[in-house]
Amino acid sequence: MAVEIRIFLLAAVILYFMEIIHLLKKKRLNLKYSLLWLAVGVLMILFIIFPEIISAFSNLLHFQSSMNALYILLIGFLVIICVALTSIVSNQNRHIKRLTQNAALLEERIRRIERLECIHMSDCNTDAQFGENLDETFKNE
Amino acid sequence: MGETKARNHVLIMIPAYNEEQNIEAVVWNLEKNYPQYDYVVINDCSTDNTLQILDRNHFNYVSLPHNLGIGGAVQTGYIYAREKNYDIAVQLDGDGQHDPAYIKDIIKPIENNEADYVIGSRFINREGFQSSTTRRMGINILSGWIRLLCGKKVYDVTSGFRAVNRNCILRFASEYPQDYPEPKAIIDAVLHGVRLTEVPVKMRERLGGESSITLWKSVYYMIKVILDILLSRISAGGSRNGR
Repeated sequence: MAVEIRIFLLAAVILYFMEIIHLLKKKRLNLKYSLLWLAVGVLMILFIIFPEIISAFSNLLHFQSSMNALYILLIGFLVIICVALTSIVSNQNRHIKRLTQNAALLEERIRRIERLECIHMSDCNTDAQFGENLDETFKNE
Repeated sequence: MGETKARNHVLIMIPAYNEEQNIEAVVWNLEKNYPQYDYVVINDCSTDNTLQILDRNHFNYVSLPHNLGIGGAVQTGYIYAREKNYDIAVQLDGDGQHDPAYIKDIIKPIENNEADYVIGSRFINREGFQSSTTRRMGINILSGWIRLLCGKKVYDVTSGFRAVNRNCILRFASEYPQDYPEPKAIIDAVLHGVRLTEVPVKMRERLGGESSITLWKSVYYMIKVILDILLSRISAGGSRNGR
């Protein structure tokens, strides 16, 4: 790899790290989910400081240039990260489903309790009692 | 409401998505003619007046705050059945295709402890509304596929008219397939040793409104379900019948 490319890549990776750390500090990235991105950054730095790694890999698989080998590696990382993201989305999907079902079932209980109170106390100002009923619903859990 | 009528512990779960034209007749029929059963309507965040109709009539309903699809809606019914300790849960479509007169036939194998999971099938006696030729072809393909993978012949794999016992209520409350769940629930159950049987029912054509399944959706549906069923088979491992 030419020195110019290495300097350019190094600068890019440093900017990339700064952005990720900035996001982490502002808590707009979950560390759990950014570990993969950080790992990719560390690998890039290794490749830039020790271009022999890329050259060796490139020679081993007969790539025409070590830059091509770098592209392939980076695309590979991106694919892995995308799969990881899809898995995260699937998990969240499951969680949201559970929350939705729970919210619906709680709403049904509150509605039933309010109707019972209406009958018992013939006081149908349900809005004022909303907070109380909610507390009771959670106590019963 | 639920507690006072619960002596025979049968809950009818009615998933409803945009069923403003049908739901009122379906539930009134249940309340008037089948008071021995409890029921709950699960409104899957309908965009029409389904919720208003449920509320105005003081029907017993649960309303999901956003759309989960039929699988998530039905599972809500199973969770409801679990929480309220029902022994038998019956799935009944909100579009009027299923005649509640058959509920006693569907729950009979469960009450006699001959089955855990009972499917109401249009294709055993071939009576009543038989669905279109293309739909039947799709159902046959899925039926053959399920038989190939788990050795159990189920004719009406997409029927939404079903009953389950307490064990299956617990199973489905904790895990139920989310999209197009009917065939997938069958293979999951059979692979885990659930005793499944089919009883003949007659279905009607839906009373009003549009069925949610269109041509392109059907193609997508078939591909997805075939893969999903295969995945069930692979992850279950072991021998056919899951034992």
